Amino acid sequence: MLALSFKVNAQSFGDIGGSQMDERVLYAMTKQMGQFIHRFNYEEDSYGKKLYPDNPDYHSAKKRQETLPLLFDFDNPRTNGALGEYFIEDLTKNHIQYFEFLGGDWFSEVTAKFKWKGKIVDISLIMAIEKEGLGSKWVITNVFFSEFQKMFPQGEMTEREKHFLHPMSHELDFMNIYKAFNNPQIIEYYASSDYTTDYLTLFFYEVKQGNLKFDHVDKVKFHVFQIKNWYFEVSWFNRNGYNSGWLISNLIYIREEDKSSLLKLYQPKK
Amino acid sequence: MKKLLFSIAFAFFALAGYQAFAQEPEISPERKQAIDSLALEKVRDLSKYIKLIGAKNTPWSEANRVIDRAVELFASDSEIGVSSLSKTKVEYYKVRQYLERLMRLNYDRVEIDWYKIQYVSDLQRQPDGTYVGVITIFQTFKGYDAEGKLVYQDTTKKDITVYVNRKETQIGGRLVGFWDVLLGDMRVKETTLK
Repeated sequence: MLALSFKVNAQSFGDIGGSQMDERVLYAMTKQMGQFIHRFNYEEDSYGKKLYPDNPDYHSAKKRQETLPLLFDFDNPRTNGALGEYFIEDLTKNHIQYFEFLGGDWFSEVTAKFKWKGKIVDISLIMAIEKEGLGSKWVITNVFFSEFQKMFPQGEMTEREKHFLHPMSHELDFMNIYKAFNNPQIIEYYASSDYTTDYLTLFFYEVKQGNLKFDHVDKVKFHVFQIKNWYFEVSWFNRNGYNSGWLISNLIYIREEDKSSLLKLYQPKK
Repeated sequence: MKKLLFSIAFAFFALAGYQAFAQEPEISPERKQAIDSLALEKVRDLSKYIKLIGAKNTPWSEANRVIDRAVELFASDSEIGVSSLSKTKVEYYKVRQYLERLMRLNYDRVEIDWYKIQYVSDLQRQPDGTYVGVITIFQTFKGYDAEGKLVYQDTTKKDITVYVNRKETQIGGRLVGFWDVLLGDMRVKETTLK
């Protein structure tokens, strides 16, 4: 197993402590998402030393082929098999690509506990890096909250088609519009066919009204769409051994043309 | 003295590159390494202070003085967010409050050690042009009772925010540019290691 892990004797820039403890597990751990990106791109060597573009090994395809398998969760047979091999081959042979911090199309999913109507609920905040001013910042691009989703169900098309205001309603001073408000649960049926629910605005409204109170962050993971024809997820594995820290927890082959609808879930306003 | 010499040397190094910096907003790899060293120096100081504050043989008045020194390493309003394996909810403490809790821990003897491993992130620019990075270090803590029995131990990962600001000072009538490093929020997370 050790042979499969990142090499372990020089991954530091100094010496904080004088501990004699076994540090191999910590060397191997992908300790920050930034380190995941560096390892993914081979911008740091297997000893943890940062590489710069003038180094011949910087972005080395051969080295990436050796290092990328170590960024997978070894306990996940689905991503850790042939699919992972195809992914690595694509990254290093077919469409050489790198994961860029400011490259867009990657998101953080922050699952947090909130208090809502007297009960504790889970809400996932979708975050993205956005360039602003002289630098960048994380911004909220969407939220997933089951209660919001329940409030706006898709509904059967046959049912939706029963609810409309006929095209001559204006001649009657819209005297029939009361029907739209008779059943508030389906009021959105009276909206345009290209109407989509803006969950983020709903979320802000509930927070502003004092109905949603933040409690704490439970879990963080990342969704990466940057790589052509692939999506992968990165999660934190807090465990012993040489396969821990930020690792690929899910991998899906997805054609570029199918990505845009998925991306809308993460960043509807883009 | 060593620290003072380091600071002076760093200020001159920064001065030499100041003209270049005024036109070139990005930090070069060489400059980044120098800033990393400065940031690590601060983290090293913090580690030393934490060890002293936690040690039961440090006199009370001395521990309080060390807390003052430690607080000076941080930007004002910095917070420490702590979670454990059994309690994943993050508890927030002000830096002074966190260190005072450490000083008052109810053990007869404590051992605080730091792993040699550390990880320094890239520096990313914030919208206002200042830089921010994160340094990750690992600490082991052992608490013993009066009989010398180990009653508590953990290994924590500490992710410490580092703010890097470009500042100027006057030396002999000349404006000298230097990089100022301050620590910010710190996330303390228990690992499965013992």
